[in-house]
Amino acid sequence: MVKFTAEELRRIMDYKHNIRNMSVIAHVDHGKSTLTDSLVAAAGIIAQEVAGDVRMTDTRADEAERGITIKSTGISLYYEMTDDSLKNFKGERNGNEYLINLIDSPGHVDFSSEVTAALRITDGALVVVDCVEGVCVQTETVLRQALGERIRPVLTVNKMDRCFLELQVDGEEAYQTFQRVIENANVIMATYEDPLLGDVQVYPEKGTVAFSAGLHGWAFTLTNFAKMYASKFGVDEMKMMERLWGENFFDPATKKWTSKNTGSATCKRGFVQFCYEPIKQIINTCMNDQKDKLWPMLQKLGVTMKSEEKDLMGKALMKRVMQTWLPASTALLEMMIFHLPSPSTAQKYRVENLYEGPLDDQYAAAIRACDPEGPLMLYVSKMIPASDKGRFFAFGRVFSGRVSTGLKVRIMGPNYVPGEKKDLYVKSVQRTVIWMGKRQETVEDVPCGNTVALVGLDQFITKNATLTNEKEVDAHPIRAMKFSVSPVVRVAVQCKVASDLPKLVEGLKRLAKSDPMVVCTIEESGEHIVAGAGELHLEICLKDLQDDFMGGAEIIKSDPVVSFRETVLERSCRTVMSKSPNKHNRLYMEARPMEDGLAEAIDDGKIGPRDDPKVRSKILSEEYGWDKDLAKKIWCFGPETTGPNMVVDMCKGVQYLNEIKDSVVAGFQWASKEGALAEENMRAICFEVCDVVLHADAIHRGGGQIIPTARRVFYASQLTAKPRLLEPVYLVEIQAPEQALGGIYSVLNQKRGHVFEEMQRPGTPLYNIKAYLPVIESFGFSSTLRAATSGQAFPQCVFDHWDMMSSDPLETGSQASQLVADIRKRKGLKEQMTPLSEYEDKL
Amino acid sequence: MDFESNYDIVGSAQFIRTHDFTRVALQFPDHLLKDSTRVVTALRKRLQSLKKIDVTEGGHEKDVGLFVMADTAYGSCCVDEVGASHINADSVIHYGHTCFSPTTNLPAFFVFGKASVCIPDCVESMSKYALINSKPIMVLFGLEYAHSIQQIKERLLKPSDPKLEVHFADVPSSVMFPSKDTKKINGLQEPASGYHGESGTTYSIGGLTWKLPEGQSMDDYSLFWIGLDDSAFANVVLTFNTCDIVLMSIVVVKIPIKIMNLFDSAILEARYELDWWQDFRYDANENQMVTDLFQQRRILKRRYYLVERAKDANIVGILVGTLGVAGYLHIINQMMELITGAGKKAYTLVMGRPNPAKLANFPECDVFLYVSCAQSALLDSKEYLAPVITPFEAMIAFNRGSQWTGAYVMEFRDLINLPQTEVADQEEEARFSFLKGGYVEDFGNQENVEEEREALALVNATEKALQLRNNSNAIVKGNARSGAEFLATRSYQGLNMPIENISPEPYLIGRRGRASGYEDEKNQQ
Repeated sequence: MVKFTAEELRRIMDYKHNIRNMSVIAHVDHGKSTLTDSLVAAAGIIAQEVAGDVRMTDTRADEAERGITIKSTGISLYYEMTDDSLKNFKGERNGNEYLINLIDSPGHVDFSSEVTAALRITDGALVVVDCVEGVCVQTETVLRQALGERIRPVLTVNKMDRCFLELQVDGEEAYQTFQRVIENANVIMATYEDPLLGDVQVYPEKGTVAFSAGLHGWAFTLTNFAKMYASKFGVDEMKMMERLWGENFFDPATKKWTSKNTGSATCKRGFVQFCYEPIKQIINTCMNDQKDKLWPMLQKLGVTMKSEEKDLMGKALMKRVMQTWLPASTALLEMMIFHLPSPSTAQKYRVENLYEGPLDDQYAAAIRACDPEGPLMLYVSKMIPASDKGRFFAFGRVFSGRVSTGLKVRIMGPNYVPGEKKDLYVKSVQRTVIWMGKRQETVEDVPCGNTVALVGLDQFITKNATLTNEKEVDAHPIRAMKFSVSPVVRVAVQCKVASDLPKLVEGLKRLAKSDPMVVCTIEESGEHIVAGAGELHLEICLKDLQDDFMGGAEIIKSDPVVSFRETVLERSCRTVMSKSPNKHNRLYMEARPMEDGLAEAIDDGKIGPRDDPKVRSKILSEEYGWDKDLAKKIWCFGPETTGPNMVVDMCKGVQYLNEIKDSVVAGFQWASKEGALAEENMRAICFEVCDVVLHADAIHRGGGQIIPTARRVFYASQLTAKPRLLEPVYLVEIQAPEQALGGIYSVLNQKRGHVFEEMQRPGTPLYNIKAYLPVIESFGFSSTLRAATSGQAFPQCVFDHWDMMSSDPLETGSQASQLVADIRKRKGLKEQMTPLSEYEDKL
Repeated sequence: MDFESNYDIVGSAQFIRTHDFTRVALQFPDHLLKDSTRVVTALRKRLQSLKKIDVTEGGHEKDVGLFVMADTAYGSCCVDEVGASHINADSVIHYGHTCFSPTTNLPAFFVFGKASVCIPDCVESMSKYALINSKPIMVLFGLEYAHSIQQIKERLLKPSDPKLEVHFADVPSSVMFPSKDTKKINGLQEPASGYHGESGTTYSIGGLTWKLPEGQSMDDYSLFWIGLDDSAFANVVLTFNTCDIVLMSIVVVKIPIKIMNLFDSAILEARYELDWWQDFRYDANENQMVTDLFQQRRILKRRYYLVERAKDANIVGILVGTLGVAGYLHIINQMMELITGAGKKAYTLVMGRPNPAKLANFPECDVFLYVSCAQSALLDSKEYLAPVITPFEAMIAFNRGSQWTGAYVMEFRDLINLPQTEVADQEEEARFSFLKGGYVEDFGNQENVEEEREALALVNATEKALQLRNNSNAIVKGNARSGAEFLATRSYQGLNMPIENISPEPYLIGRRGRASGYEDEKNQQ
């Protein structure tokens, strides 16, 4: 049944020009997994007949049940191309056999991290767009991510069958729709263009756009039709392709090509005349069971059907005919092989994105050359649960060298710093495995340019890591992935039976591994917290936790909890002072809000503790209007030394100030992690040390005196500067028909959301609505929305920004003060905030 | 209640008399100190009268020396043997709340004080509770209520309802002899009540002991606590965290009185803390039953978090919190071994009772391990820069492979005997840190690396000192692996000797006045 063996696969792995690593990316429900099926079917892993229904890459029960992809799944496929089809291929190749390492990714925004993990280890992306819905928010997100990773995209306009069967649009209208979809995609691609990657826009006439119907397993590119007609018209294939798209019209009556519609009834656009209409004709004939007309037509096209297939009727017949005539795999594979880069091509320009170390060392050189004889550089981008409970495969991509069974590797974790021993292990690989659909095949070794799964390293890798040979001690790790979503929704979990705690601990550990985005931590109060990107993500994670990772032991989960931030609205109303416990030292301080955008810049790492002070002061003075000298006096960032708050020294001529700096910094790290309102992190607060009075004797101004005092004075200055809470806000995108708009607006209103953009999709009855929605209101939002619009609206939520709550938390009875009280109660703190007088001292 | 009985003058005198002690230290906690003179006078009078009897019987004894001890270096609940040995005392009489930690050298006599409790109320709520509860009840109590327990017991069991299954912990004897002469203890401690002859498990906590028949464990009982929501109770909650516990709380209504204003606020606070002591109670008690112990349960979870925190620590400061409790040296050494075994660095610090300011002088320590008697061991270290954990928690945190099961051991002497959990031979997995949400390295796996680091710590430090450092990555907690490394990352490392300019500086006139506001500042304001 399977058309190829592991040995065959392994053999092509050495031909680095004949490998294509690609991921399938799209908005949710645009048909990625279905389309992937046709490719898998062509490789013979599943039967052609069921392709489109099996969703081979949705391996989990809940994926099948919900009909959405949750985890990205890799498959290695083998194809043999014919000489004929390759005759136009200009790139390097080694024989006609090709290996496609394909990764199907989820489309729901909650699982964006899976897409990121998939993109890292591939070089090309097949972007799937629904021809009716067009380019959606998630299409844009994944495209942006792909281009950020220097992944070359090709496009397929999917669900063509809807045009023919459901909407019954005529040729010109369909063309306009497709043209718009392609244009929209190109606009996005042009925005994120990268000189090294070259022109990444897609053009049907160049063969980088396919038209497909994943459900029925057929697809074509203009190449297919160009080949068909080239000989008939006696023109070059390339020329023919150009004629089949754009402003090229053909009038069969005059047999003339024009660049304008002549207005005669028979004059039609090339695409409509030669591609759209023939397909429409065939489909209609099949659907109407006009078999007598069908067979001659098919014969003309050179399509031969098996005798038993001739008995099929209606849709089944249509599917079969189309699959035979325009098999999806041929069109898509050709597009991939022709237009997506091989590892050796891609790694030339990807190396600078990938490698953290100097670009002239041997590791960079080996990655650039995709050198199988070079030192091993392998990036593990995700962990995949194995069939024996509790173990994981480390799934990744070999960028240079080769990895083999029994090889001792250096594992460099995400916190590894070259030259140090932190987050570094040396372990041996137990087995190297390649993925063939639902089966795994063990192979002796895997050379560079391929994806691979490794056994035996899962106890040292949490989520991702860079592997290299044992002796390569000077290698730098491969850059960590940057995710487009962040884990903002949290629940506390505990086990129903107290004695199950060890199971829970073990389960959380595994859960943390199994998903690139989920974060399992522990709160000060001793509660275990699971944090995810959204409600759905959390739901899936908790289900996995209970069923797979804890062996079914029951857990109790709390209501979702949202973390807030504490900030200030204005500069402190006065300079506050705190005395040390021995009363011999005094710190004077003020707090003020940071300039707009500065906190975000710190988040993005544009400004940080490791910057060159000169560069930093330049940015601060030019973009944020800081005083140049002042910008050099930043003592530290916090919390965790990198957070979006800082301490600036404003004192003049204070003796011994350098001695207490460390203590103040320690106090600041502590205070900025647990703000005065509800012990949430602080954000966007700039603390200015105004004056310091210290005891002349060093023993009386030690850490013990200064650290607690510094913490108190930070709190005092926060409380005097109109403290406010920041709440996380989602950007919601909803696509819905006009009649659902009313329902959407009322639900958003009720949930404190506000719409800031409403746009009709040209050519469709659909509206695109963008709105901001507080995360805390988002629980149950999807279902409420579905109920209010009778299932017509489907929201996608992504964390967007922190929004200040206008009510004053210090004013009793206000909404914010209620919120603060709730948080404090949950954390087991005193319900009343500590008053300012506890922090501020009088002279 | 009268003074003499409250301070158990008769009992104390009897204790001194029977054992012929000549130098007796009377240990008072701070809040009882003001009664010390009256106690001494009364006790001396009592001894005198006893002596007279003796003399008439023909004895000729020396005078008994009574010494008042106050301001103990550690928790006032333990017997301050070091203090007592300064005056060569041969015994100690301890007043006030006690943790009943065994002493090493000196015999001790405990005076718990007698707090009043409304017995009818107590009995009523207890029997009510017993009726709705399916499990048998074990009654535990604060030591200051020990005097009323006998009465409660009689009243409660009088109706002789066979269904009512209520057991009482034994009232502890107030005499304690150093643990090395155990025979003596056995001879002297008369079991107050209980189940003679039966074999079973004996439980003891904070001076209370009781025995359960074979085959039963504490999980089969509900606990009923008579007393305050204090550290003794917290210990009970933690130790028997799987049982249902009811607190018969004695809430004291405080009425501030004018005299208070004369004291400064610190003393005022201290007074408020002592409301359990009968003489200081300004108003009647209000007995009430508390079944919702949410806050207490929280403690256990919080301790669990601290254990997770401790696992991530590189440098551990061992705080010596007692010099009296038997076996403290042993446990400190044991902890030392445990910590070094886990590849971490330990420093031993002796600083009396810890407070945030004292501990913040050691910012290099990621966690502190407090070796002390059971009742002062639980420090809610919210206000501390680094958390403070108990030896038991350290055992869980630093022993690879040991798990938090919910069982909790308060007394460190139980830890000494605890069978060492056999650490699975190098369990092949990196340690997962819940604080960082990922695997963190463990240097325990790399012994040789560790040694090398030790030897080279200073070299590394100087090496780093010579490097150009970014000025802003000052203290990053948890990165340093030893004190030397930590020092190297500080931006200020102490005074440098001026090498070039050795001529003396001209003198300057400094500031005048007091630290709370120097003279020149006062003028400004």
